[in-house]
Order: sequence, then C-alpha cells, then structure tokens
Amino acid sequence: MCFMSRSIREFVNNESATAIAIARLVRHRSARWGLAVIAVLVIAAIVGPLLSSYSCIEQLDIAHLNNAPPSWSHPFGTDQYSRDVLTRVLCGARVSLAVATLAVLLSMTLGTAYGLVAGYAGGRLDNAMMRVLDAFLSIPRVLLLIAVLTLWHPVPLAGLIILLGTTGWFGVSRLVRAETLTAKQIDYVAAARALGASDVRILWRHLLPNVISPVIVSATLAVGNVIALEAGLSYLGLGAKEPTASWGSIFFDGIELFAGNWWVALFPGIAIVVTVLAFNVLGDALRDVLDPRQLHLARALPEEVTTKKSLSS
Amino acid sequence: MMIAWSATSPTAHHHMRSSLAAIATAALVTACSSKEGSQSAGASGAAGGTMIYAAPADAMDVFPPYVSDLVGHIVQDLVYERLAEIGPDLQTVGDKGFTPLLAKSWTWAPDSLSIAFSLDPRARFHDGKPVTASDVRYSFKAFTDPKAASPSAPLLTNIDSVSVRDSLTPVFWFKKRTPEQFYDVAYQLLVMPEHVFGSIPMEQLHTSEITRKPVGTGRFRLAKWDPGVRIELIADTANYHGRPKLDRLIITPVAPATGATQLLSGQADFMDVFPFSQAGALDSSANARPIVQGQPTYAFMAMNQFDPKSKKTANVVFSDSRVRRALSMSVDRVSMLKNVFGDKGHLAHGPFPMVASYGDSTLRLPPFDTVAAKALLDSAGWRVGAGGIRVKNGRPLRFTLLVPTSSVQRSQYGVLLQDQFRKVGAQADIDKLDPGAMQSRVQSYDFDAVIHAYHPDPSPSGTKQFWSTAGIGPAGQNVLRYSNHTVDALLDSVSASFDPAKMKMYTSRAFQQIIDDAPAIWLYDFVVVSAINRRIVTAPMRTDEWWANLADWSIPADKRIDRDRIGLTPAKP
Amino acid sequence: MRRLLVARVSQSLIVVFIVTTISFFVIRSAPGDPFSYASENVTPAVRDHWRAQFGYDRPLLEQFGRYLASAARGQFGYSFQMREPVSAALAQAVPRTLLLTGLALGLSFMIGLVIGVVQAVRRGGWFDRISSSVLLFLYSLPDFWGALMALLIFAYWWPILPAGNIVDPVLHDYMGPSAALVDRLRHLVLPVLSLTLLTMAGISRYQRAAMLEVLPSDYIRTARAKGLPEREIIWRHALRTALAPMITMLGLLLPALLGGALFIEKVFSWPGMGMLAANAIAARDYDLVTATVIVGSFMVVIGNVVADVLHVAIDPRIRE
Repeated sequence: MCFMSRSIREFVNNESATAIAIARLVRHRSARWGLAVIAVLVIAAIVGPLLSSYSCIEQLDIAHLNNAPPSWSHPFGTDQYSRDVLTRVLCGARVSLAVATLAVLLSMTLGTAYGLVAGYAGGRLDNAMMRVLDAFLSIPRVLLLIAVLTLWHPVPLAGLIILLGTTGWFGVSRLVRAETLTAKQIDYVAAARALGASDVRILWRHLLPNVISPVIVSATLAVGNVIALEAGLSYLGLGAKEPTASWGSIFFDGIELFAGNWWVALFPGIAIVVTVLAFNVLGDALRDVLDPRQLHLARALPEEVTTKKSLSS
Repeated sequence: MMIAWSATSPTAHHHMRSSLAAIATAALVTACSSKEGSQSAGASGAAGGTMIYAAPADAMDVFPPYVSDLVGHIVQDLVYERLAEIGPDLQTVGDKGFTPLLAKSWTWAPDSLSIAFSLDPRARFHDGKPVTASDVRYSFKAFTDPKAASPSAPLLTNIDSVSVRDSLTPVFWFKKRTPEQFYDVAYQLLVMPEHVFGSIPMEQLHTSEITRKPVGTGRFRLAKWDPGVRIELIADTANYHGRPKLDRLIITPVAPATGATQLLSGQADFMDVFPFSQAGALDSSANARPIVQGQPTYAFMAMNQFDPKSKKTANVVFSDSRVRRALSMSVDRVSMLKNVFGDKGHLAHGPFPMVASYGDSTLRLPPFDTVAAKALLDSAGWRVGAGGIRVKNGRPLRFTLLVPTSSVQRSQYGVLLQDQFRKVGAQADIDKLDPGAMQSRVQSYDFDAVIHAYHPDPSPSGTKQFWSTAGIGPAGQNVLRYSNHTVDALLDSVSASFDPAKMKMYTSRAFQQIIDDAPAIWLYDFVVVSAINRRIVTAPMRTDEWWANLADWSIPADKRIDRDRIGLTPAKP
Repeated sequence: MRRLLVARVSQSLIVVFIVTTISFFVIRSAPGDPFSYASENVTPAVRDHWRAQFGYDRPLLEQFGRYLASAARGQFGYSFQMREPVSAALAQAVPRTLLLTGLALGLSFMIGLVIGVVQAVRRGGWFDRISSSVLLFLYSLPDFWGALMALLIFAYWWPILPAGNIVDPVLHDYMGPSAALVDRLRHLVLPVLSLTLLTMAGISRYQRAAMLEVLPSDYIRTARAKGLPEREIIWRHALRTALAPMITMLGLLLPALLGGALFIEKVFSWPGMGMLAANAIAARDYDLVTATVIVGSFMVVIGNVVADVLHVAIDPRIRE
C-alpha cells in the first residue's frame, strides 16, 4: 500500500523514523545480545532438525537406550522412550516459537483494532468497550486457558494458537486506546477530519503509525510470555500432543523422573529461560529506543503488567 | 519421689527447696506439654503408632452403596464390616473360604435358596448401639432400592429379599441357586446402622451430609475429614474384635512424585502405588522398603470392531481380523515391558491376570514379527502410501488411541505403541483423557482403540462380565462388545461346573479362543510396587486389597518416632 | 471522593456480572457434563437421574436463569466431586490463597519498592546494573520453573523445609500453639518465597522507571534548592508521587498474581483456590469452576477499586 512504499523509500534514504530506530537499536548494547540469541534460536529451529541424524519422534531402542545420560552420540541424552533429546529440543524450538509468534500476531491485531476503535470513537461506545475489557482483564488468563483446554479436550495445535491469541489482547488494547486518545488530538489528524477524510483512512494512515511503537514493544515482550505460558500449560499436561515436541512437553516428560533423568527437563528448561530472557531484553531495548516517553505513567498501562510472563491477562 | 528431709543445714535446705522447686517445675512443664497425660498408654504400650498413607486421591464417597473410588473403598472397609470375610485365596465359590466377621455363623436352607446368618451378639456400632438383623435388612435396602440408585445394585440381583427372623438373625432369600450366592452377600454388602441413616429418604441418600460421617462396626472410626487435605481414622478401642494395633491412620492425597519423596524422606509411611521409575531408590532407602505384588488386573490395547460414531457399522480399520493380528505382531511386548517396568514387570499371557487361580501361561499368543505383520497388512489391502502410512481405498490406516491420564504406565505404553505402529505404517493419534471422560467414552463405545485394564472378580465366572455376549450392555463390562458363541458356551460351562479343575480347563479353552480372535493386544499384568516405612510390621497382605488386615499392622515400641507417640487424644476440631 | 467510590463500585458490579455470564456460558457449553466423572459402576440410568436432579438437561438459558437466581441468594451450586455446597468448599480455600498472595504481594511491594528507589537514585552505579540483571533474570523465569527449582533445592537436595502442604498433616493438631505457628510458617516459606521473587522483579523494574520520571521534575528541584536533606527528598516527596501509579499497578497485578498462585499451589500442594480450581476442572465440577472464576474476578475487581481509591488519596497531584 502507499503507506508502505513511501516508508521503504524513506528507509532507503535513511530518513524515516524506522531507520533511525533500527540504527539506535543496533547500537544498544543489550539489544544486540537479545537479537543475537533470538537469531541463533531461529536458525537452530529451522536448520537444526534437518542436520540431526535422528528424527524428532523416533524411539531408537526402547529396551536399552532409554534414559541414557548425555554422551557424545547424544549430547543431551535420551528420554524415557529412547528419543534423542537434542533433536527434540530443536524441533521443540520450531513449535514453541511458531506457536508464540502466531499467537502474539493474533493478539496484537485484535488488541490494536479494538483499542483504535475505542479510542477514536470516544464517549459512550468507548466507555462500554472499556467496561467489557475490564471484565476480560479481571479473569485470570491461566484459569480460563486451563478450563477451555480441559473441557474441550482434545484441542489441536491450531486451536491452542487461537486460544492463546484471543486471550492475550486485552492489555494491548488498553495501551492502544490510551495512545489513540492522545494521538487523536494531533493537528494533522484534526485537519484530516476537517477535510472530510473517512474514518477508516484516518485510523489506518494517521493514527496507526502513531500507536504502533508501544505495540511493537508489547509484542516482543508477549512472545517471551507466551512461550513461558505454553510451557506452563504443557507442564499441566495440556499442551502439544504426543509425539510432537514442544519445550514445555519435553520438560513435562522430564520433570516426572527428575532424579533419574534430569537432562530431559534441564535442557528445555534452559532453552525456555534463555529465550524468554532474550525477548525481554529486546523488548526493553525497543522501548528505550522507540520512545522513552512511553513510560509516562498517568496515561498508559505499563507493558510489564500487560505482558508479564505467563501471569498476565 | 522420696526426699530425705533430714538434712538440716540452711544451705542444704535451701538447695533442697530450690531443687524441689526445679523438679516440681519440670514435672509441671512436662505434664503440660504432653497433653496425652493418661492416654499415653497408647504411646508406649503394645499398641500404638500413627501411619500416614500417601494416597493417589481424596475419598469421594464413604457410604457403602455408593463407594466406587479406591480411597473411599479403603475408608469404607475399615469403618464398616461385612457379614463374612473372603479367604486369602479369594475363592468365591461356595462358602468354604470365608471366615466369620459380623456373622459368627450361618446356616444354609436344604434347598440352598436361603441362608440364615447369626450375628455376633458382641457387635456394636461406634455409637455403642448393638447390631441387629433389621440393620442388615436396611443395608440391603440401601444397596438395592431403585430410588437410592446405587451402582452396586446390579451385583445383588440374585438376592430377592432379606427377612428378620429375630433380632440377631437376618435371613437372605435367593432367586436361584448359584455357585457364588454366598459371595454375593458376603463380598458386596456392608452393614450400616438403620438408627443413624434410616431416616434419610432414599433419593437423598447420595448427597446427604450425614453419610459423610460414617458410623459402622469396623475396627477404625472416622475421626476427621478435611476435604482434599486429609482423612484421619482412629482406632476403635472398644471394638468387639479387639482394638487395632495402630492408633491412627492418616490418609493424605498427594501427587505421585510428592508422595514418593515423602516416603523416601520418612514424612509419609505408605504408598500403595509407588512410581515405578523411582522404585530403585527404595532398595537403598533408610526409611522405606518396597513391597512388590502382582495384582489381579491386566492391561491391554482394545481394538473396537464397531465404528465409534455410529456404533453399529463396522470399524474401517479394526473390523478386519487380519489388521488386528498384524498390529498384534508388530509390537515387541517384551521390550515395552522392560522400558516401562525395568526388571519388575509381569507380561500378560492373555485375557486374564496370571495371579488368578485360573491363570494359564501356556496359551499361544501372536509372536513379535514385523515382517509378517507388514505382509499381512499388504494382503489385507493396506498398501504403503505417502509419508509411510498405509492406505486402502483412499483411507489411511489411522486411528485414535485413548489413554488415561491417571495411569503413568498406560500413558507410556501409548507412546511406545504409537512409534511401533508407525514403523509398520499405521498412525495412532494419542488422546489423553481424565478418568471421568475416559469412563464415559468407553462406556458409550465411542473409541477406536483404548488402553484399558480389567480387574475381574476373583471368581472364574468373573470373566463373563468382560468377554461374553451377556456381558455386553450396562449390566456387564464388555466394552469391546466382543461376542463369540464358542466362548459363551465355554464360559457357561464354567459357571455351571462346581469342580475347580474342570473350570480351569474350560477357562483355558475360552481364553485361547479369545486370543485367536485378537480383539486386543495383551500388554501386561499389573505389578504394583508399594512402599512402606521400615518401622512398620505388616500382617499378610491380600493381593487385591492391601488394607484388608490393616488392623493387625503394628509399630514396635522401640521403633516409634514422634508422631507415633501422640496417643489417642482426639484431634482439635 | 464519594462520587468516585460510588461510580467505581457500580462499574465493578457490572464487570462482575459480565464475568459471571462469560464464565457460565463458556463452562457449561463444554461437551460432556459433570457426571462423566463418576466411576466404572455407575450406569447411564443413574447418570441421567443425576443430570435431571441437578438441572443439566434443561436448555442453557434456563440453566443460566436458575443459576443467577440462586447466586443472588448466595448459593453457588453443589460440588458433585466434593459432595458439599460450593460455598463451603470455597470458604475453606479462599482464605488460604489470600494468605499466600497477600503475603507475597506485601513482601514484593516492600522489597521491590526499596530496590527500585535505590536503583533510580544511584542510576548507572554497580548496584543498579547488577540488580537489574538479576531482576531481569528472575522476571524471565516461568512461574512453575521458579517454584519447582525452589522445591528441588530446599525440599529434596537440602531438605530443610517441608515439601508441600499447608501444615504437617499429622502432628499439627497436636502441637502447642507456638509449635503450631512455627509449623505454619515453615510451610509458608517456599510458596511465598517463589511467588514473591517473581512478582518483586516486575515491581522493582516499574518502580525504578517511575522514580526516574519523578526525580528530574520541578518541585523536586525546588525542594533541593530549598536545602532539604536528600534523604527526605527521596523518601518522602519523590516516593510519594511515584507511589501513586504503583498503587494502580497493584490493582492490575492481581489477576496475574492469582494466575501465578495457581502454579505455585499446584507445585506445593497448597490447598487454595488455584488447586481447587485445577482439580475442579479435571473433575468437571462445573459449579465449582464457575464459582472460582467469579470469586477470582471479584477479588481482582475489589482490588482495583481499593487501588483507585488509594491512588486518589495518596497522589498530591490529583487531590484537590
């Protein structure tokens, strides 16, 4: 669309806000660390399983090779079904990252749309929408997820993604609404209105670019959040189904016999923590870079609260 | 405590007085801090001790007509009593193996259509009232009245009624003579007091609060029930059989991993199903030791020959016996056993538990032969397609395998079976269900394949419930709706025969026929590793119910620890 | 102030009603019914009988109407799994969760506040940098992970604390009052510690940012120019201003805290609302699950109202 092509031109000319932001990001110390880790993870997830000589799901020798500790042929050891843990962790990276990314994409889209509409409309509609949002926000997310995943058992992976996405947009929409309320006062928006531009055009062209920064920060933090949440759900036995590996389900398999095969729980556990850490670091850096003023307290809902780990609503 | 008052020097006197004061204070302090005081007879006497049982779940019901869960069963058996107790060999035919319990003797009518029981005149309920024949009649009513809707009612259909000849003599009247008519009365019925529960209307019996405070004749009483946290059973010291050797039993529901830790650290004393994966630690533990027992339960992967949705048409995958036999041959049962149970497993030998009196290890089962399995599948028309999965008429060889979350071993078998099926070109999708959902799917025949377990009654005719045509439907437990008239005829011969040797021959022939039909893959017999604290001395344990002789378990005085010394003071409310 | 209170309370009631509706319909429209969770021996006839007795064979809207009517009378249904009224089951479990989350909230607030202030005041210093990294790490740990690690370390490998439960299952009733108190405290340590560590990280990060916002502002500079001692400036004036949004944030933290408590309760077998809810869901105890969600939301909503009121009371900028 026009918007995109113009910004690409600006980008090429190194003039756009996006280019400036990216430049600042790369110079930010901890951001580089976060980006590096994430890049390694993504590459490992895509390439890793292809390079491994074992398959993600194959049980090699159930009578003799089960619960083998780490060794040269199996750097992360084998699990109770004699499957290579390193390969499964790599495959798990694919599942966990994909689920988290798609779910967050969904939440951000829903939340931004809702927040834009509420903030732009103002008045009674805004009020009503916010009340409904309050209701959604007050239900603990984990409880709702557990209830739905258990009662509608079995839920396929696609369903899990949709579920995670539709329960994670509440905080973002509050944020976007607050930003919209401010942005709508800006001169050129008022001018556009006066000139008779349609609501949709105003929302898409003028308001959206202004509110996008906090959404990007939220999204980054949310990805880490959802990875941890998916792991938690798998810990409760509600995540990916056998024989699919996700970090949470491997961890769940391993934690049962932790004394006997600690390697099965340790490595996916480390993977989860490192990934969440990387996304948090990146999110922090993005916040610093995109607009330090985002932290203004009286207006916005702080991202920590909306996207905090697996606890948030 | 004699103190010589003859010392007269002031300092000595002073010393004496202060030491007297010290001693008195010490005595006062110890007396105050040990609340047991006079009840410490239990703490240091021959009887005493507290046993903590780390249970898999909390009790659901403890009122006998409704008890269906394990812990409820345990509480019921300790608090209430039956008329007679089954023998250790679990013989259910006739009354030879049974020992008197609430009934001190019984008399058969000459035509065997009624039995008159003679209640023990010493028997008292926990509230002190004597046990009478009308209590027995009331109990029968609570079990069988349609308004009470007890799930145990179908087991008592052969009993027509109970009459009261005098206050200590209830008479059971039967509809017809069967080998197990005595067993029906003695094993299924427990005696509840009419004066406590009789006023509750039958429809409200299940949900009444009063039934959660049991009053029975057993050697333990229910002292306290903190839902979800613990159940405390206390010795009934005035019991007519004599008080149990333990003071109290505390049942705490915990997750298996937590329970295992508690056993190993000595925080808990008994666990009926210790997680297999950690069983090795028990051999070297200072606190707990293992008890390994075979159980009269066997597990298998059932294959539904009917379509799960329509329930009437044939199952696309499993109605062909070649497919069922091929799948049976594609799994290495011995390796799976080793993976799940280590060296402690018991392989299944067919549709029966080996520990039962009719177990037979000489029957022919399908061998492990993947080449033959693949050939058989090819000949049945299932050709290998894309992705390695076989296809026939455009339909893939794919089915859902149900697995209960409540059983670690069955979940593990599910994963192992899945991979072995994959290697011969069949795709199994595992669906893990909680016990309730599993129950309802299986009972409504809504499944393709399920890893199920049968726990047959000790009698040989118990097999009829599971594998005969008569066992199909709500009265039986034949969830596969397996039906073979040869098997039916053989099992009928078993019930009609009163000679154990002949019965065994008939059952073996019936089992071989079932195996040849390959309705299921026979996986393993239940082996349970229980863990018990080393200080506890058990009485001989029955294989089906470890708690049967709990009243005779004891803790020697020299091995007692803190919690054994509490004594019989009732807990603070 | 009073108008604010009235407005917020009435809004909260609307919110609770919406939550009740959502949770009721979501839970009751699930496939199956509560009586699937009965044992092998229960026949379909008995199940139908129970279904009729408890009204599960009626249309959904009618069920909702009946539910609202009895909820208005204070009865939230019957827990089939626990064989007691839902309110009785909740009455025991809710205070236990409140104890856990209340303690954790209080502790994390206090510790997080102090850390955040010190970090902001000595911005860029060694304390700031090291504690920020540690806090970021703690913040990134999934809840169940932190709790499991705590359990493993302090209850298994180095067994100085009990591995779960709320009191000693046997001896507690027979202990003297001081021993019983110690027993309760010992069982509280690990769950509260786990929950606190996770929550405190977020709070201190936020507090740091809040303080950094306030410190450069005009009236702080004026106070400095007036010669007030630095300590007083920071801990009385700056903190007072920065505290206000913190209080709002507390209100928003509540649903997160309750959710986190669920994992903690599961790991430590703490018989509070979280465990009750988890068991109820597994047992398809519909009434209990619905009631738990409603009570949870109710607590959140009350917390928010309290936070709002406190906010207005404390913030000198808002108060007229």
